[in-house]
Amino acid sequence: MQKDFLEHGLNSNRRRFLSRLSLGLGSAALGSLLVPDLFSGDSSDSGLAPGIPHFAPKAKRVIYLFQNGAPSQLELFDYKPRLREMMGQDLPSSIRGNQRLTGMTANQTAFPMVGSFANFQQHGESRNWISDLLPYTSKVVDDICVIRSLHTEAINHDPALTFFQTGAQQGNRPSMGSWLSYGLGSENKNLPSFTVLLSRGKGNSQGVYSKLWSSGFLESIHQGVQFSSGDDPVLYLKDPDGMNKYERRKFLDQVSQLNQLSYEQFGDPEISTKIQQYEMAYRMQTAVPEIMDLSKEPDDIIKLYGTDAMTPGTFAANCLLARKLSENGVRFVQLYHQGWDHHGNLPNEIASQAKDVDQASAALITDLKQRGLLDETLVIWGGEFGRTNYSQGKWTADNYGRDHHPRCFSIWMAGGGIKPGISYGETDEFGYNVVKDPVHVHDFQATILNRLGLNHEKLIYKHLGRRYRLTDVSGKVINDILV
Amino acid sequence: MKSKLNAYAVSVIFCLNVLIVFLLIFEQQLVIPQWVQPIGRMHPILLHFPIALLILAAGMEFFRFKSENAATSFYQDFTSGLFLSGILLSGITVLMGLILSLEDGYDGDALLFHKWFGVSTVFLSSLLFKIRDFAWYKEIIAKSGSVALALILIVAGHFGSVLTHGDNFVLEPITTPVLVPLEQAKVYDHVIQPILQEKCVSCHNDQKLKGSLKLTDSLSILKGGKTGKLFIAGKPNLSLLLERIHLPSSEKKHMPPSGKPQLTEEESRLLFLWIKDNASFSKKVTDLAQNDSLRVLAASRFKPTEIEDEEFDFAAADDKTIKKLNTFYRLVAPVSQGSPALAVSFFSKNGFDSKSLDELTAIKDQIVSLRLSRMPVKDTDLNKISQFESLQNLDLNFTDITGSGLKELSGLKSLKSLSLSGTKVNLAQVKPIVSLKSLEELTIWNTSFSEKDIQELKKLNKKIKILTGYKDDGNSPIQLTQPLLNNSSRVFKDQTKIELTHPRQDVSIRYTLDGTEPDSLTSPIFNNNLIIKSNSTIKAKAYKKGWLSSGVSTFGFLKTSIKPDRIKIMFESDQYHKAMGANSLIDGQLGDFDTNNSNWLGYQGNNLEVLLEFNTVRIIQNIALNTLISPNGFDNRFPYGYSFPPTSIQVFAGTDKDNLKLIGTMNPVMPNKTSIQEIKSIYTTFKPQSVSYIKIIAKPLKKLPEWHPTKGKPALLMVDEILIN
Repeated sequence: MQKDFLEHGLNSNRRRFLSRLSLGLGSAALGSLLVPDLFSGDSSDSGLAPGIPHFAPKAKRVIYLFQNGAPSQLELFDYKPRLREMMGQDLPSSIRGNQRLTGMTANQTAFPMVGSFANFQQHGESRNWISDLLPYTSKVVDDICVIRSLHTEAINHDPALTFFQTGAQQGNRPSMGSWLSYGLGSENKNLPSFTVLLSRGKGNSQGVYSKLWSSGFLESIHQGVQFSSGDDPVLYLKDPDGMNKYERRKFLDQVSQLNQLSYEQFGDPEISTKIQQYEMAYRMQTAVPEIMDLSKEPDDIIKLYGTDAMTPGTFAANCLLARKLSENGVRFVQLYHQGWDHHGNLPNEIASQAKDVDQASAALITDLKQRGLLDETLVIWGGEFGRTNYSQGKWTADNYGRDHHPRCFSIWMAGGGIKPGISYGETDEFGYNVVKDPVHVHDFQATILNRLGLNHEKLIYKHLGRRYRLTDVSGKVINDILV
Repeated sequence: MKSKLNAYAVSVIFCLNVLIVFLLIFEQQLVIPQWVQPIGRMHPILLHFPIALLILAAGMEFFRFKSENAATSFYQDFTSGLFLSGILLSGITVLMGLILSLEDGYDGDALLFHKWFGVSTVFLSSLLFKIRDFAWYKEIIAKSGSVALALILIVAGHFGSVLTHGDNFVLEPITTPVLVPLEQAKVYDHVIQPILQEKCVSCHNDQKLKGSLKLTDSLSILKGGKTGKLFIAGKPNLSLLLERIHLPSSEKKHMPPSGKPQLTEEESRLLFLWIKDNASFSKKVTDLAQNDSLRVLAASRFKPTEIEDEEFDFAAADDKTIKKLNTFYRLVAPVSQGSPALAVSFFSKNGFDSKSLDELTAIKDQIVSLRLSRMPVKDTDLNKISQFESLQNLDLNFTDITGSGLKELSGLKSLKSLSLSGTKVNLAQVKPIVSLKSLEELTIWNTSFSEKDIQELKKLNKKIKILTGYKDDGNSPIQLTQPLLNNSSRVFKDQTKIELTHPRQDVSIRYTLDGTEPDSLTSPIFNNNLIIKSNSTIKAKAYKKGWLSSGVSTFGFLKTSIKPDRIKIMFESDQYHKAMGANSLIDGQLGDFDTNNSNWLGYQGNNLEVLLEFNTVRIIQNIALNTLISPNGFDNRFPYGYSFPPTSIQVFAGTDKDNLKLIGTMNPVMPNKTSIQEIKSIYTTFKPQSVSYIKIIAKPLKKLPEWHPTKGKPALLMVDEILIN
């Protein structure tokens, strides 16, 4: 951005003009040697034109069901009978190694291991172990790929969440949805290509905030747009009282002319972005109400997603909305469900949280599948890190808490070119360390981009003299889980 | 002078030739003193001069007998000079080369060829020089001699370059090695053998069995050489192969010999790991564990598993055409960068008409994917789609087709997936499509197909995947949500019409007004025509066939027939419950148990003291404060467990602002330990009065009772509305 400003100033500078003239052809020829694509033209002369995948994509869209607060893998996906046998025994320090602990358990004198209060069963043809807390997910187990070996670098919510979403812990970088919007462009020009839906369960929650769906240094057209429940799903989208469609159009035309003038004067690319955004908002005025209206969804769809789907703002209603948005060409639908931070009273809270999300998550898979859309939609379910195999504070067999654990946790992915009905990666019998096929957050991100036809090493944006990637300077595509 | 110099040069050339012959004969016996070595090493510097000079000389010699050249003495002298200097320098260069070749590490075919062709260059050029002035030396000899010299020189130079730069140095950048995809790669064939081939086989092959070892095939490798077996499978540390590789390079037995291209660290590591892994000749790379070192190292040598972009045999459409076809409602985009294949999607019914498909004719060969979900596509449109012959994915979900036009699609020989969910198609219509060999996936959720139909379809096409999706079998009904209230206010003046709604359609809502729970038999069905005229509590439940009935929703309606024109508060409410200021008490908006909403005014310590003003004189007979009572301690959902009714309410009224009379007092009943949380209107009644001013003073409880968890602290008085009748 800074660069664009500067260059605009230089565009009308005489010295620059003359020096250009003299270097002219030579530099152009040299430039084409250095940057082979120099003359292949900009794929998008407007920010709204579609970007094009680097190679043929398997998935066209993503729905990310982010479980904010970090659900315990040990109660949901990672079956560790050994922990029950060793209930209450201190975790061997050889297993714990030099793991940095949070301030909440760093001062504990003992680390009593606790097994899951919930039972596990094997399900489907894949015989994957899934907790009894997730009866609906168990039924779609042959459609999902459970990764049990994810690991991250952060041990607290904000950095971990930011790391997952932007590839860096400190923030200020574009969110994954923004990167996809940048790399693939929008599919439906009447809707933003990156939308965000929030819901909250009864468990202990952690905040979500708009920096998580910020476009960072990318053009603001790639920013996530939050859709909320209620009368005004997208803020400031409605015409004010007393303004009709015709007047709105006239107003937009005038404003656009003014903006165009000021763009010519200052050359700030954000001005042209703004013009486009006004225009898209205008079209969204028709598109959004249609999408937000769930009353026209047939009864059996509501039954599929569960009772909550009738109540706006719940996870189930958001899942249903996510399907509608995705079906309408929104590249990245980001859901956040709060309430998974179970430092204490875990069994009660996780049971209620699981109940909030289980049916709708599974329903989303079924629903996409029956529309032939699961093949081209990547669905992801998971939190920002895992939880410890030992109890935080006092414990009993049916009431305990778990602290943050970055070394291993489980997520699942489905559709969009991910092998269905498999599990990937293993943790040790204590559920503390990854023993097979570790997946770093950057590997996970590289894999998502790969499924969308993007090479994570080539999806680059230059900012302040540095080239940035979602996967920063690492990341390996997990080939073993690809179709 | 000139001829003297010539004579010297000729004798030097003669000496050089003799020396060269001598060196060639006694090569094996000679030990080169160390101080001579630098001379040998200058061979690569000097060699360029004789090449240039001799090539030029040969060229001039070729045209020597052309009449104009023959007559030019300069031409003749110059050629002769070139020859002389070229031969001199080539002789010296060869001598240096021979010295250099005696150093360690020069061996092999390339050296042999280089040596003999180099030497031949000197001999041939000397010979040519010697005979070129004889009378029988004719044009034909000159031409063939110079061509031969040039050829020999080039061949010598070529092998010299092979020695220094390796084989295929020039063409290497443009010869693309054949990369095997990781899935097919074998450890021996595609990792180990190429290393041996590159670094060992030049000396250990069928022709050059150095140390009687051949490394070209698995049998010979297992057999080993003169010194014994190459390795013991599984024991790399005891294996001869690795021992030789790891000997210091100064040792004679170090392999590959010094001077030859050495194994890189990665290559010797790969050999080590291969032997450690039992030196299998058949194992595939993917048979190894994901994090096996051998696999990790080997994997980098293969083509990464990237999606191979499908090759299409049609040309790309014109960029301008594509751009023109893109609208706000239709996306036309290449499948990937550089691919001629196009994907087309439609997104809004309003933007779709029958012309929308016609316009695509310009790119009919390029469309591989077409999404028409929810568009008003008719059966007649299918004919247009049938001309998109490259089509692989077709989405016709929830379109208006009835199926009669489906047969048109049976010409789409590339069709892989077809989505027909939510359409009226039937078995007979779908059959010809399913018989398409290319079809892999058919989506028919929400259609009339029976299980039997599906079995029949599967018989037509063995590999087809038929997606049917979720169908409500009625065996696991779920609960409806509670009815919702649409009224903008639950406070009314004379009467109000109650508006109950439900997010589902065709739901019947039953209600009661007497405080009992509604039931599905006797309670009246809500019909949008319910009007109430006094304080009422409506309880409602939703019912629908195939669903469990909802929970009960309860809505209280309060009557306030007289609205004050102005309101003033004497004391500020507490900082957490300011609502929207004094007006909140007469705005018709009621709060609920979620005290975070902005309807509640809270008083703790201070009295609630309100002055209401009327523009005209009104007659009143009662006044009520609507209060939140939540006396029982703390709870996650209701953190205001210290909200109590006021200890007393006093109402003053009159027509003179400065002279108000006390017209009524109320001392509400205090809740006890077992009281439940409720929202309650506390009425103060009195004889009808004519008033233009009313003042209300409500005193919050000063000390919470003994049984309360925070006994002794002041209680909170929460008020959201004042009702005047």
